[in-house]
Amino acid sequence: MRRVAVIGVGVTKFGRHDRTSTELFAEAAAEAIRDADLAPSAIQALYYGNVTGGEGERQLHMGPLAATLLGLPTIPTTRFENACATSHAAFRHAMMEIASGVSDVVLVGGAERVLNIPTDAATEYFAYCSDASLEQTVGLTFPGVFALIARAHMDKYGTTEEQMAHVAVKNHRHGVLNPKAQFQKEITLDTVLKSAYVADPLKLFDCCPFTDGGAALVLAAEHVARKKPRAVWALASQAASDTMFMHEKRDLSRVMATERAAAAAYRQAGKAPADVDVVELHDCFTIAEIVATEGLGFFEPGTGGVAAEKGWTGLGGKIPVNPSGGLKAKGHPIGATGAAQIAEIVTQLRGEAGARQVEGARTGLTHTLGGNTATVLVSLFGRD
Amino acid sequence: MTEHVLTLKRFFEEARAGRLTGIRCGKCGELAIPPKEFCAGCQERNWALAPLTGKGAITSFTVIRIAPRGRAAEAPYAVAVVKLEEGLSLLGRIVDIPLDTLRTGLPVQFRALVTGDQTAVGFGPS
Repeated sequence: MRRVAVIGVGVTKFGRHDRTSTELFAEAAAEAIRDADLAPSAIQALYYGNVTGGEGERQLHMGPLAATLLGLPTIPTTRFENACATSHAAFRHAMMEIASGVSDVVLVGGAERVLNIPTDAATEYFAYCSDASLEQTVGLTFPGVFALIARAHMDKYGTTEEQMAHVAVKNHRHGVLNPKAQFQKEITLDTVLKSAYVADPLKLFDCCPFTDGGAALVLAAEHVARKKPRAVWALASQAASDTMFMHEKRDLSRVMATERAAAAAYRQAGKAPADVDVVELHDCFTIAEIVATEGLGFFEPGTGGVAAEKGWTGLGGKIPVNPSGGLKAKGHPIGATGAAQIAEIVTQLRGEAGARQVEGARTGLTHTLGGNTATVLVSLFGRD
Repeated sequence: MTEHVLTLKRFFEEARAGRLTGIRCGKCGELAIPPKEFCAGCQERNWALAPLTGKGAITSFTVIRIAPRGRAAEAPYAVAVVKLEEGLSLLGRIVDIPLDTLRTGLPVQFRALVTGDQTAVGFGPS
């Protein structure tokens, strides 16, 4: 298999937009192509991610639409949907297209637009990522899914609502340093702890927001990437699944797919958790970050809450997690999130992250979780 | 054509009649809801119907206060993962139990929640 590098990244401002998701993607893609210093005609294929376009924008067949709006109407395209892990799944497949020798330069990413529809409609569409027969019928929501996980973690390990609040405070602190973040405002523990319950024990400030935005990456084979001094190598990309049903999870306090994908990714890259300098992981809810820091091997099971409380995951801490502000503060346009996380890690490894730069970062990890923990992707990146 | 001992449609028809029904693997004894083709445990494809008592205890629960579209009038409502006495678990809506008395370990009993054509899994006081 051939080595693959990320040679260009582009991300729109995250927040509210009055443009369609495919327009947002095209903007991010143009930025990524310019960042790669390539002619647009060098792009040989598009792997495009979007989740709710059919429901919220009455738009399917988005791959060719995105390519058309970009000005590349003839390249082959494929649309991906893996709930919130959508564009990370697209990334893995784009990487395989290059690794296998089918193409030399591939564009990958995604976009989402949901702030054009009412919150209860967005909540309904996101719930479509859980099972329609047994889960949607009882009124399970995504905050509800992670509330079930949070209570199990609290019962088993004594994790507290205050420890979860520390995750939100830290990611908002990081978001202030990211000009593209949806929220660039610090919050306090009190802000989180006094916010209203959405799904007990999760409160409003334990939850990431609804977000419009797009993100894109240009991937290239080694012979192309060698000419690009800012190229960052994709060392590994692994996907794992778990049962779709919350009631079938072996242990609600763990995300087994994270553990499986991480083990495979570390093996593929020849790395261990201790080698990782900077992480972008899936903090759709504060408890999700705590469980992910355990599942990725940074902290022992049950100690992710303590790590958050002690500040070990902040910039300057033992293992900086979500320097971008994470989904919590940067925002979570679900079809764009995986690609946006990779864009942040590439920016960090290039040493171009400005005020939120993790000094000397050489190895980075991205983790994206889809739906009710049924899909997880973990990728590792590095510089020579 | 393969004969399915249970489909989702039949699961809900049985549930509507008050009978909670799963499937049991003829090789390893694993119980499952919803029905599968292969047993996730032993890969066998040899299922039998498994009537369940519907008795169980709450493993984890949440009180949902922000509901999806069309369910605002129902909120706040509780959803729980319940471990049934036969050993498998099932997600359901909690009914007729005061929200402030919910706790993990609380014994509950299956009941069908019927709204028009739709049937959902519910659990009430044991």
